[in-house]
Amino acid sequence: MTGICIIAGALDGKLSRSSLELIGGARMLQGPLGQEVAAVLLGHGPGLAEAAADLHRHGVGRVYRCDHPLLTAGQTDAVLVAGEQVVRRTGPEVVLIAADTVGRELAPRLAYRLRAALATECVELGVEDGAIVVRRQVYGGRALATLVVRTRPAVLSVKPHALDVPQPAPVAGTVEDVSVAIDAGALPTRVREVLREQAELGLEDAQIVIGGGRGLGGPEGFALLAELAKQLGGAVGASRPPTDAGWVPVNWQIGQTGKTIRPALYIAVGISGATQHIAGVTGSRTIVAINRDPEAPIFSSAHLGIVGDYREVVPALIAKVKELKGA
Amino acid sequence: MEITLLRGAAVLLLLAVAAGIAVRKLLLIYRLIRLGSGPVPLAPIGVRLRDLVVQVLAHSKVLRRPASGILHFFIFWGFLVLLSTIVQAFGEAFVPGWTLPVVGAAPWFAFLQDVFIVLVLVGIGIALWLRLAVRPKRLAGQDPVGAYMILGLITGIMVTLLLSRGTAIVLDAPRWAAGAEVSRVVAGWFAGAARGTVGVVAAVSWWAHLLIILYFLTWIPEGKHLHLITLVPNILLRKARPRGALALLDVEHADRLGASRVEHFTWKDNLDVFACMECGRCTEVCPANSTGKELDPRRLHTDLRKQLTKVGPALLAGAGDVPRPALVGEVFSEAFLWQCLTCGACVEECPATNEHIDKIVEMRRHLAMEEARVPETMADALRSLEARGHPFRGAGLARDAWADGVAVKRLPAGERAEWLLWVGCAAALNERNHAPLQALVRLLQAARLDVGILGDEEACTGDPARRMGNEYLFQTLARQNIETLTGYGVTKIVTLCPHCYNTLRHEYPQLGGRYEVWHHTQLLARLIDEGRIKPGGAVASTITFHDPCYLGRHNGEYDAPRRVLGAIPGAKTVEMAQCRERSFCCGAGGGLYWLEDRVGQRVSHVRTSHVAATGAQVVATACPFCMLMLEDAAAATESTARPLDVAELLDRSLAEERH
Amino acid sequence: MEIIVCLKQVVDPELPARDFAIDPATRRQVREGRPLVISTYDENALEVALQLKDRVGGKVTALTLGPQGVAGDAIRLALAMGADEAVAVDDPHGVGLLGVEKARVLTAAIRRIGRFDLVLCGCESADWVERVVGPLLAEALAAACVTFVSRIEQTNGGLLVRRMADEGFHQLEVRLPAVLSVTSDETNRPRLPKVKDIMTARRKPVQVWPMADLSGTPADGDAPGVEVRDVALPERTARCEFLPGDAAAQVAALTQRLRDLKLL
Repeated sequence: MTGICIIAGALDGKLSRSSLELIGGARMLQGPLGQEVAAVLLGHGPGLAEAAADLHRHGVGRVYRCDHPLLTAGQTDAVLVAGEQVVRRTGPEVVLIAADTVGRELAPRLAYRLRAALATECVELGVEDGAIVVRRQVYGGRALATLVVRTRPAVLSVKPHALDVPQPAPVAGTVEDVSVAIDAGALPTRVREVLREQAELGLEDAQIVIGGGRGLGGPEGFALLAELAKQLGGAVGASRPPTDAGWVPVNWQIGQTGKTIRPALYIAVGISGATQHIAGVTGSRTIVAINRDPEAPIFSSAHLGIVGDYREVVPALIAKVKELKGA
Repeated sequence: MEITLLRGAAVLLLLAVAAGIAVRKLLLIYRLIRLGSGPVPLAPIGVRLRDLVVQVLAHSKVLRRPASGILHFFIFWGFLVLLSTIVQAFGEAFVPGWTLPVVGAAPWFAFLQDVFIVLVLVGIGIALWLRLAVRPKRLAGQDPVGAYMILGLITGIMVTLLLSRGTAIVLDAPRWAAGAEVSRVVAGWFAGAARGTVGVVAAVSWWAHLLIILYFLTWIPEGKHLHLITLVPNILLRKARPRGALALLDVEHADRLGASRVEHFTWKDNLDVFACMECGRCTEVCPANSTGKELDPRRLHTDLRKQLTKVGPALLAGAGDVPRPALVGEVFSEAFLWQCLTCGACVEECPATNEHIDKIVEMRRHLAMEEARVPETMADALRSLEARGHPFRGAGLARDAWADGVAVKRLPAGERAEWLLWVGCAAALNERNHAPLQALVRLLQAARLDVGILGDEEACTGDPARRMGNEYLFQTLARQNIETLTGYGVTKIVTLCPHCYNTLRHEYPQLGGRYEVWHHTQLLARLIDEGRIKPGGAVASTITFHDPCYLGRHNGEYDAPRRVLGAIPGAKTVEMAQCRERSFCCGAGGGLYWLEDRVGQRVSHVRTSHVAATGAQVVATACPFCMLMLEDAAAATESTARPLDVAELLDRSLAEERH
Repeated sequence: MEIIVCLKQVVDPELPARDFAIDPATRRQVREGRPLVISTYDENALEVALQLKDRVGGKVTALTLGPQGVAGDAIRLALAMGADEAVAVDDPHGVGLLGVEKARVLTAAIRRIGRFDLVLCGCESADWVERVVGPLLAEALAAACVTFVSRIEQTNGGLLVRRMADEGFHQLEVRLPAVLSVTSDETNRPRLPKVKDIMTARRKPVQVWPMADLSGTPADGDAPGVEVRDVALPERTARCEFLPGDAAAQVAALTQRLRDLKLL
C-alpha cells in the first residue's frame, strides 16, 4: 500500500471545485509522509480530458481516469463500485474524498469495503510525529476534535470549503484510462431526476442564511440579498417587519414566532436585533451583522460587525465573493 | 258574579296552558343543562349573595354603559314593581276591581306604579334610540326579531296597563286613583266618552294585557330573554375558583381530555349559555375581536346554545350520537380558538357572570392533548418546555445569566433565605427583562429583605402550557416545581411576572403547593408604606401605567403599582382611557406570545396607540411579557413612549438619591 | 412496511454556552445534569417513518443505544409518537463510541430484531456530526443507501426518495431493503404526541439488550482505526468584532475572516 489518492469527481462533466481543495489537503500529507499523490478521476464525457489537465496543473501527476456513462450526478452506487475497483488496483495508503453530496455517502461505504480507518468531515489535515492527524468540528461547531489515524488504509473525507484551493503547480502528468465493470442492474439506487433549478433552499437546512430587516427600506433590498445568497450558496430570510410590510413572503420570517435556523453563517442586513428575532438565530455558528446604527442591539449577538450602509457593503461583498470564487 | 267566575276559569285555563308550555320548555332547558358534567364546586355563599345584590339589584356591570344600563335598570325595576299590577290583573279575573291587600288601594302605591310605568316607557324609548339611531356594533350581532319582539311586548304590556288603569278610573273611581297621576291623564282621554265605549276599551285592554303577558310567558325560554329565569341561578351558582385559575383536570383518569362536543362541558357552562343575554359587550371589549380577528366571545355562547338546543334533545332521548358539525373545527374554527388571549376582558364585562375563558380552554385542551394539533410555533414552545423546561427556543441564556455579578443568594448552593425571588422564564431568558430584575434585587436589598433564587432549578411554572391547553405538561412542570419548592422549604415568594404570580398563588394549590405569593409591585408598595424603601431623587417623566391582565383583571390588583409610581418624586402619572378593569391586553396572553399576530391589526400596536394618545414619555409595565410586547411594538410603530418596569423606575429614583 | 428507526439521545444542542463543557477524561461533552433530547434529525427520521406507516401500513421499531435510565426518555417519546416497538441497547459506559463502533452494535441489534424493509436514521447526529452511521449500516446489512433524504414515497418495487444535494435535489429510485438517513424538511416536522399515547407509552414494554451480548460479532471486531486525542474549545470572545474602515476595507476583512472560518 502506498500513496495518497484523491477521489476527484467530475460527475457533472467537469472537475468539481472540492476536488481541487483535496489537492491542498494531499499536499499537507505528502511531504511528511513521503508519499506520492495520485488522483482517481470519475465521471463521464469529453470534459474529463480538461479535468485531468486541471489536476496536472495543480500538481497531481498521476491521474487514473475512469469514464463510464453511469458515473453522473448523484449516482453514488456506481461511483462506489468504480471507486472501489480503481482503489484496490492502485492500493493507496490514504484516500481523500470531498464530503459533498456523493462523497459523504462514498467515504464511509468505501472505508467499510476496504476495512479502512475512517474520519469524516475533516477541516484540517496534517502529520504530527509521523501520524496522520485530522481535526473536525463537533457539538454544533462549539468544539474542535483532534483525531489520530492509527491504521492503514485510511479514508478521510474533507468538508467542502474547509481547505483552500492550492496555487497551481503544473507538472507534466500522465493519464491512465481505467475501465471498470459496473452492472447497472445490480445497483440498488438510481437517480431519476436532478432538480437544479430548485435554488429555493429551505431556510432551515441552509448552511448560509442572509436575513433582511426593516433597514433594507423596501422589497428591492431583497434582490441584492438574493444575489449575495446565490454567490454564497445560501438562502434568504427576513425579520418580521419586511414580512409584515409584504416585502417578502410570510414564511421567510425568522424568529420566535417564525423559523428557527442553525446555519454555519448568518448575515443580518438592516436588522435591528429584537430578542424575538435573535431567538431564531442563536443556533448559528457565526453571525455577521451589517447595520447603519452602531448601537443596534444586533451587534451584541453578532460575532462580526460592519457598521455601514448595506447599499454600499453588500454590492462590495458580492463583488469580492465573485472575485474569490473566480480565482 | 257568574260572569267573573267564567272569566276567572277561562283565565285560569289560559294561564295553565301558557304556564304548561313555558314549563315544558324550561324543563327541557333544565335537562339540557344537566347534560353537562359535574361536580362544580361553588363559591362561598357570601360571595354569591353579594354578587346577587350588587350585580342584579344594583346592576353594577350593566350600568358600565350608561345608556343601556339606565334603560335596563328602569325596565328591570319596573318589572319588579309592576309585578303587582300583573297580579292585580289576574286577580281581577275573579273579582273585578281587586287590588292587592294593604297597599293595593293606597294612592302612594298607585303613584309608585305609575312612575315605574313611565320609567319603563322611557327605557323602551332609550332602547329604540340606541337601536335605530346610535346603532352600536354589539347590537348588530343580535337576533333583531327577538329584540324588537321584546320591546314590542313590553310596550304592549305597558300600554294595555295604562289603558286598563285609565278606564278603571273613569268607570270605578277607585281609591288609588288619587295617586295615579299618569293613569289619570289617560283617564282624561275618555272624559267625554260614553260609558259603554269606555267599558269596551277597558275589557279589551284588560284581556289584551293578560294575553300579552301569557304569550310573553311562553316566549321567555326562546331567546335571550331566558335570562329572566336563568340569570339569578347563574349568579347564585357561581364557581368557586379564583378568577385567574383554570380548572384542574385529572389527566390520568379522565375519560376525555377537553371538549370536542357540546355535551362535554360542565352543567355550569351550559347554564352560562342559557343565561347569555347576547348583549355583545364581551365581544366589544375583546382585544382580538376589536383588532379584526374571528374570535367572538358572544358567538362562543350563542353558538354553543344553538348546538346544545339542536343536538341535546336527541341525546337526552338516548341516541348514541347525532350527526352534527364538529364543534372544534366547524362550529368554532381552530383559528377562532387560538386567537383568545385569556385576558379576561369578556369575563369582566359580562353582566351574566359567564366564564368565556373556561370554555375556550376546554376546547384547546381537546386540540392540544387529544389531537396534538397546535399551531407550529406554539408546538415549538411546548416541545421546548418538555425538553428544557422553558418555552423560549433559541434563548441560549442560562437561567441566572441576569444575576451574574448580582449578589443574591442561591438556594441550590446551599444558601437559605426568607424570600424566594421567582424569576420566571420571560424575565430570565429575555435580556430586556434583566434590568428590571436587577433593579428589583437592588430595591429588595435596600429594604434589607433576605432574598434567594433557584437559578437553574427553576422550571417554567407551566402557565403557557396550561393556557395552550396542554394540561398534562402543565401538571408535570408544576409537580416538579412543587417538589423543588418543598425541598427547599419555601414559604414566601415574590415574583416579577403576573403569570407566575397567578399560577403559583392560585393554581399550584390545586396540586398541593401552597405558598404566600406576592407580585413585586405589591411587595414594593408595602415596603414603601412601611418606610423600608424611601424613594429619593426625582424622576421627571409623565408615566402611564399599563395594567397587566394577569395582575389586574385576573387578580384584582390595580392599586399597588400605582402606589409605587405615586411615591416616586417628580413622576406625573396619566391614565389611559382603557385602564384598570378596562385595560387592553398587550397581546401575549393565552400562549399567544408564541403565535404571530397576522390577522387584522396587531393587538400590541393598538395598545401602543393607547399609550401614545396619553402623550406620556414612559409606559410603566409590571409584567415581562407586556414589556417584550410593548418594546417590540414601540420599535415597530416608532412610538416615543419608553416601556420601563415599575421596579426600574423606582430604582432610578433611589439611584438619583445616591448621587 | 417494517421500519426500524435509530435514535440517539444527545445533550440539548441549545444548551447555554455556560453549561457546555468537555470532560478531559472521556474527551466528550459533560452530560451530567444537562437536559437530554433526541438528536434533531433522528426526530425527523422517526416522523418520516411514522408518516410512511400511516400511509402504507406496517410496523415501526425504535432502536436506541446508550446507558439505560437515560435512553429511556427517547424511547418513551418515540413510543408516544407512534412507534410500535422499542429496543434499547444498554451501553453502560454511555459515551465515547465513534460512529463506526456504533454502527457495528446497531447492525447486530438490527439483525437480532429480524426482518426489516427500511432502516432510517438522522443524516447526522447533533453532537458528533460524523454522518457515517447510515452508510455503514447499509454496507453491513447489504442494503441500498441514500443519505440526506427529505421525502419518501412507496412505489412498485421500492421507494422514490428526495435527497438534498449541494445544488438542489435528486429524485432517486431505491430498492428495498434500504438504509436512508433523513434530513429535515417542512413535510417532516416531528409530531406532538397525544397525551393518551404518552401515558400508554409509559406502560409499553421496551426490550433491553445489554451491549455486551451484541458486540463482538465476528469479522466486524476490529478496533476503529482512529482515536480521539482531544476535544478543545476554540477561543471565542463574547464581544462583537467590528470591522474597520470603509466598505471596501470592511468587505475585505469580512471575506478574510469567513475564509479563516472555512465558510468561504
